[in-house]
Amino acid sequence: MAVYLIKRLAASVLTALLASIVVFLMMRSVPGDVVGQMLGQTSDPVATQALREFFGLDQPAWRQYLGWLSRVVSGDLGTSWTRGQPVGGLIGSALLVTLQLSVATLVLATAIGVPLGVVAAMNEGKLVDRAIQSFTLLGLAAPVFWVGLMLLVGISTATGWSPPLLYVSPAQSLRENLSIMALPIVSLAVLQAAAYSQFVRQSVVSAFSDDYVRTAVAKGMTRNVVFFRHVLRNVAIPLVTFMGLILVQILGGAVIIESLFSLPGLGRLMLSAIETRDYPVLQGALLIVVVLAMAVNLGVDMLYRVIDPRVQVG
Amino acid sequence: MTLPTLLNHLDRRALLALGGMAVAAALVGPALADDLYGPKATGARSGGTLNVGLLLEAPGLDPFHQGAEARIRITVLMYQGLFYETSGGKALPLLAEGYDLSPDGLTYTIRIRKGVKFHTGGAMTAKDVAYSYNYIRDSKNGSPGAGDFGLISAIEATDDHTIKMTLSSPNAAILMTMGNKYGAVVPTGYFDAPDAKTRLNQVSVGTGPFKLAEFKPNSNVTLDKNADYWEPGVPYLDRINFVSVPSGASLLVGLRNGRIDMAPLTRPQDIRQVENVRGLVVGRTPSFNQKAIDLGSELKPLDDERVRRAISLAVDKDEIMRASVGGYGVVIGTMVASMQEAWGVPIDKLPNQKVDIAAAKKLLADAGHPNGFDLTLTTIIGYDWMDAAAVTLREQLAKIGVRLAIQRVEIGVWIRNFQSKQMGFTFNDWATVPDPNLLFYRHFRSMPQGADFRNWKNEAASKLLDEGRTESDPAKRKDIYGRFQQIMAESVPTIMLFSADHVTVRAEKVRNYDQHATGWFYGLARTWIAS
Repeated sequence: MAVYLIKRLAASVLTALLASIVVFLMMRSVPGDVVGQMLGQTSDPVATQALREFFGLDQPAWRQYLGWLSRVVSGDLGTSWTRGQPVGGLIGSALLVTLQLSVATLVLATAIGVPLGVVAAMNEGKLVDRAIQSFTLLGLAAPVFWVGLMLLVGISTATGWSPPLLYVSPAQSLRENLSIMALPIVSLAVLQAAAYSQFVRQSVVSAFSDDYVRTAVAKGMTRNVVFFRHVLRNVAIPLVTFMGLILVQILGGAVIIESLFSLPGLGRLMLSAIETRDYPVLQGALLIVVVLAMAVNLGVDMLYRVIDPRVQVG
Repeated sequence: MTLPTLLNHLDRRALLALGGMAVAAALVGPALADDLYGPKATGARSGGTLNVGLLLEAPGLDPFHQGAEARIRITVLMYQGLFYETSGGKALPLLAEGYDLSPDGLTYTIRIRKGVKFHTGGAMTAKDVAYSYNYIRDSKNGSPGAGDFGLISAIEATDDHTIKMTLSSPNAAILMTMGNKYGAVVPTGYFDAPDAKTRLNQVSVGTGPFKLAEFKPNSNVTLDKNADYWEPGVPYLDRINFVSVPSGASLLVGLRNGRIDMAPLTRPQDIRQVENVRGLVVGRTPSFNQKAIDLGSELKPLDDERVRRAISLAVDKDEIMRASVGGYGVVIGTMVASMQEAWGVPIDKLPNQKVDIAAAKKLLADAGHPNGFDLTLTTIIGYDWMDAAAVTLREQLAKIGVRLAIQRVEIGVWIRNFQSKQMGFTFNDWATVPDPNLLFYRHFRSMPQGADFRNWKNEAASKLLDEGRTESDPAKRKDIYGRFQQIMAESVPTIMLFSADHVTVRAEKVRNYDQHATGWFYGLARTWIAS
């Protein structure tokens, strides 16, 4: 187990390193830089040169990269070129927003999606199943942006209330925070709950046709007992895998939802960093995203072992 | 000022509500328009927090190095230069108290205001003024504003409240240059610290009516009232939150529900949605900005003046304005709307302003393109007006056989092309402070004195720009810039289409906000909230 973990971590570091090189090269191959953005419709060559030197943009790319890497290794993500604040702090506070959004969405989507899927599967072909399937299809077809917009405009038209636009962290005021986060979380959760419910229904239905279930039923156990004692366990593994996938999907949808609801999350931070060519912020944020994605994958693999001791890792 | 322009200065709703009284107020308007930051309020209530919603966030708050309009409109409340540029086009003393000019027009003796304190607590003296302007005019310090200060040879403090500024040749625009677009008076030696530039995003070090309380990226810029501010009795607001709201739909919902008290809007479809909402007031003022078509001579066949003229003769500016900003703008000739009265040549006295397809076709045939040619128009992603304008322009140019392809590029790419003078055929969207030298010189003066972004290389025009910069007699200066505009309209390095109005939506309780023609938020220094 320990050997496996070390191997996985080593591979992760290598992946992160490769990803950082790719990100670095991609950013530099996009035309324009932060100096151009700052100077706008002026082009004093002396001023341009002075600013390029200030940001180290006059150095060859490989030296810029090594400089960045050596600072990152020593735990310093640098300072944002446009905001003038430490990148670590910027990413940290943005990450908290996005993580709250993602985790809450995951929990809500699971809480809605899994029971729906189970109920649908247990009533396969019946009216309940059809109703749930219809909801699922609708949820899958509606883009996150549209759901968010409809909720925002609909609720504000009907009640005259809309979420506050100035973000407040849960530590400052949980109530205020929830009134800001509720609509974004629901908007994201609709799609994921639908995806969940469909996946769970499929897994459960197919599990019921497996041999071990037939044996259990033949022993005279009720459908419900079979479900809770045998099926649920076997469905758990693909469910965890699916959860990992969904978490990554939620992170993607968060970019859109963060813009719609004015949340200062990671997606918006990266978007504005791209627009202003704020390399330190973008490189730092992408590095964190890569690390996060790898951590989710690793966590999922570890969970397999907990759920099913027969799974050999390594 | 004509009546329609006067009426534009007023909120239309206020006009309806107050009837005759509003007209009386309007007649006082032009005089008041030349007050610092706008007219002071009578019966104002002090206190309260104002929430301003912004679709575009300030990328940073450094007034020396950050050139974006989204920065300038906010930092003018925290930082002050020696002079204030009024919407009417005058340079009023701000941190200066007055000045004397030597007869040769080369030496300014400027008296500096007493009793002014920096946000950091120290008293401002002439030494700080000299330090700040010497910092910005040195190109090595990397300010985009440096070029405008080019003719200054020395600035020094002669005592605590006087500076002497020596020019290498007279510059009629120098006072306007010492306004508030770039730079400001900051404490002596401020930029000696290595982190000085970035620290401006956390702490303000100016002398303005508000100081920086918080700058949270993708969230808010919060300013607090400067309790030690030197003007008595102002500002009225305790706090201003500039809230970043990237989604237009969300901003409109926020305005309706009172989450946002005020917001500048640019898209006509957004404006229409709040125009008749109870409790909201829509204000509309003419501006110093211009939406233009630039014609870079490096792109063939735009190097042929006849081709450029033909394009100009095919362009229906009014149609493009209506299609792109829904009528919330003013069609212009060769001068931005708010400077037209002071500096512009009437549009009917300029060549190539009226659509004339036959003449355009003849010009193209003379230039060797009897069947037209293919041309690519560059537009910038995120500038909504350009999308509608591009389609309209394609229809218009098709009438003279010019087949237009539309290429949308990202702003970073566009700026790089612009700065390297490879702009080609493109829409442009830019603004000025109200002096013709600052409007035209850098853009149109041939190299190396100017940047000549469009590779125009017009010597007659360059000569006039040099003359206009040094001439101190206002009437002669107006004549010089009149002749320059004639050349510009005749030779067409650019086609200035229209100035979009500044449209500001605010809650009824927000009082005495005067929208400055630059689009900057100066007026908030005089705004108060009714209970």
